Amino acid sequence: MSLPNEENAMSSSPDAQLSSHVFGDLLDSIIVDVASECHRIAKLGLDRNFEEEEEELRLSAQARVRVADPSNSGEANGKYVVDIFGQNHPSVASEVFECMNCGRSIVAGRFAPHLEKCMGKGRKARLKVTRSSTAAQTRNSRGNPASTYSAYSNSNSTNRLSNGASAVAGEEYSNGALEEP
Amino acid sequence: MSTRKPSYANPKPCNHLSAYKLKYGSSGYKSLQKSLKSAPNGRTSVRIHETKIPRCSFCNGFEGRLYICLICSSVSCSNHAVLHTQLEIGHDLAVDVQRAELFCCACSDQVYDPDFDKSVMAKHMLDLPCSTNSADSIGERLCERKRLGGSGVVLSEFKKPEKSGFVRDHRAKSCYPLGLRGLNNLGNTCFMNSVLQALLHAPPLRNYFLSDRHSRRTCRKRTANRLCLPCELHGVYSAVYSGDWTPYSPAQLLYSWWQHSENLASYEQQDAHEFFISVLDGIHEKETKARNHTKDSGDCQCIAHRVFSGLLRSDVTCMTCGFTSTTYDPCLDISLNLDTSRCSWSDASNKPAKANGSSCSSTLLGCLDLFTKPEKLGSDQKLYCQNCQELRDSSKQMSIRKLPMVLCLHIKRFEHSLVRKMMRKIDSYLHFPFSLDMTPYLSSSIVRNRFGNRIFAFEGDESEMSTEFEIFAVVTHSGTLDSGHYVTYLRIQDQWYKCDNAWINEVDEGIVRASQCYMMFYVHKTLYYKANIDLRHLPVSTQKEAFQRMAGCC
Repeated sequence: MSLPNEENAMSSSPDAQLSSHVFGDLLDSIIVDVASECHRIAKLGLDRNFEEEEEELRLSAQARVRVADPSNSGEANGKYVVDIFGQNHPSVASEVFECMNCGRSIVAGRFAPHLEKCMGKGRKARLKVTRSSTAAQTRNSRGNPASTYSAYSNSNSTNRLSNGASAVAGEEYSNGALEEP
Repeated sequence: MSTRKPSYANPKPCNHLSAYKLKYGSSGYKSLQKSLKSAPNGRTSVRIHETKIPRCSFCNGFEGRLYICLICSSVSCSNHAVLHTQLEIGHDLAVDVQRAELFCCACSDQVYDPDFDKSVMAKHMLDLPCSTNSADSIGERLCERKRLGGSGVVLSEFKKPEKSGFVRDHRAKSCYPLGLRGLNNLGNTCFMNSVLQALLHAPPLRNYFLSDRHSRRTCRKRTANRLCLPCELHGVYSAVYSGDWTPYSPAQLLYSWWQHSENLASYEQQDAHEFFISVLDGIHEKETKARNHTKDSGDCQCIAHRVFSGLLRSDVTCMTCGFTSTTYDPCLDISLNLDTSRCSWSDASNKPAKANGSSCSSTLLGCLDLFTKPEKLGSDQKLYCQNCQELRDSSKQMSIRKLPMVLCLHIKRFEHSLVRKMMRKIDSYLHFPFSLDMTPYLSSSIVRNRFGNRIFAFEGDESEMSTEFEIFAVVTHSGTLDSGHYVTYLRIQDQWYKCDNAWINEVDEGIVRASQCYMMFYVHKTLYYKANIDLRHLPVSTQKEAFQRMAGCC
C-alpha cells in the first residue's frame, strides 16, 4: 500500500517504505477484524433488517415533504371545521361546572387559574411553600440536578417542554403571568 | 404468551467441521483453552508462546492472518493454510490466532460451533476478574435462578371479567372505536390532556380501570375521605369510555393531582413527561399504602409498576483489568438523548433554515443505539476498581434487563446552549417506527455483543417475554421550551386520530410520521392486537354517567 504523496519518496527512503508497510498491515488487520465480526453477525442472524429501516425512512421523508407543502395546508396543519363527531369547539372551553373547592360555577377554560387562587396557590401564596417538603415527592431520579420541579419562572431552568392552550388561540393564555380578575 | 424466537441462529456446520467433531468432539477445544487469552474489552485471542510471535511453518511469515491447526497445533498464514490441509489429511479446522474464531482451511471460510464458543466463554469467566456474583455479569444460564423483580406479568389477570360487568355493547354500531373523547383545556393544561389520552389507551391500564379493579366504591381511601389519584383516574376512564362524545373536563383529576403534587400545582405551562411520572407516582403511593408493601418498586405490584416498570442494567468496566461491576435499576420509562450522527453540518454560508428546522435527521433506533453504546468515562471521572484497588479509566454501558408491558420512550429535546448559558429546545426531526423490535437493546444482546457475539446462553436469553412492540400513542410538542403546545396521536385499529384538547380528528399516518415526537408509547404486539379486538366488547361502566348515545356520523 502506498499513499499518493509518498510515491516519490518510496524508492528513496527505506523508512518511508517500512512505515507505509506497517500502516498497510495494520489497516488490513482492522479490515479483516470488521469483516470477521460482520460475518459472524450475519451467519448467526443477529443483523438488523436494513431494508425495512430504509423503507421506513423513505416513508417519513415522503410524509414530511407532503406536510411541508403549502398547498396541503388546512387539515394537515390542524385547522378543522368539525371533529369526528361533527362538533365545533370554541378556543376557550365553555362548559360550566362547580368548583369542588369553593362551590362556585366556573367556565372550564378558566378553571385552572381559578383553582390556583382558590387553593391558595397563587403567586404570593407559592412563595411560602418550602422546597424541601415537595422535593421528596419525586421518586424517579433522573440524575439531572436541574430538573427539580420549580413552580417559579422557568426562563433558565429545567428540562421540560411547556405547553400552551389550543393552537388556535394561543394568545388567550399567558405564560405564567396571572392577572385574572 | 408467545415465546420469543431464539435470538441467534445456529449455522449449519460444513462437512469438514462435522467430520472433525465426530472424530475429536470438544477435546481439541479444551486443550486450546490454556492458550486462550482474554482482554479487558471482552475479546479473546490465542497466545501460543509467552514471548515469541507466531510464524507460519511454511514461509516463516508473521504478517496477515495466522491460523493454528486444532489437531497438530502447527501455524499457517492465510496463503499457506490450504497447503497444510493438503499435506495432512483431515487437518482442516484451525483457529484464527488474533480473534479466536474457527476457520475451515478447506472451505477457506470462518465457521461456527456452539461448543467452541462455549469453551471460549468458559475461559473468559476464568480469566476475567470477578465479583462474588460474577456468574451474573456474563450469566451462564442457571435454571433455578431467582428472577429479578417480578418478571413477566401474568396476562390472564387482565382478561375480561366473566360475569355481570360484561354487557354486549350496542355502541359497537358506531363507526368510531370506544374511548375517543376530547378533553377540555382547563387553562394551560394541554400537557395533562396529552398524557391522559395516551394513558386512556394503554391496553393493560385501560383494562384495569374499566374492569373496576380500582373504583370509588371499593376504594378504602375514599371512604376515609382521603385523596386518591387512582379513584380520579377511574372517573376519567369511565367518562371517556361512556360513549358520550362531548368533550370532558378532567377538573376533578386536576384538583386531586394538585393536592398530590403540590410543587407542580400552578396555573402555567408544564412538561408532559413530568406529569406522566407524577401521575404514576400518585398511583403507586396509594396502592402500596393500601397493601402495606414496602416502597421498593423492584417487586411492586401496583398497576403503575406492573404496566410501565422495566429494569435497566448498567455495566461499568475497568479498562485496565476488565473487571465489570453490574447494577440494576428499575425505570418507568426511558429518556433518550437525540442521536445526531445523521446530521449534515452545512458550512457557514448556507441558506436560511428550512421549515422543518435543522437538517438533522435522527432515528429512534439511532437514539437507542446511542443509549446502549459503551461510553468511555472521561479521565476526570475515574472510578474505583475493586480488582485493581485503584481509580481507573472505565467505560459504562446501559442495556435493558427487563422490558415493561408498555414502553414509554421520552426524547430529551433540550440541550444547554453554549452561547446563552440556558437550556434550549432541539427541534430536529426524529423518525420513529410504528413497529419496534427491542431485541438488540436487551442485556443479553448487549452483553453477547461485548464478548464477540459468541453462541452462548447469556443472562436473559431464557426470558419468554416478547420483544416486539407496536406504537399506540405519540405525544408531540411544537413551540419553545417556555411556550408551546402538546398534541397526542392515537393509533386504534390501525387508524390514527389526532387528539388536540377538545378536538378529535382522523388523520393520515403521514401526518403522524412527520410530527415532532416527544414521548412515544409502545405496547407488546400481542396486547395491541388483542386490544383492537377487545374494543368492541368492553364492559360498560357501572357508573351513572354512562350514556348510550351514538356518534351520529353514519
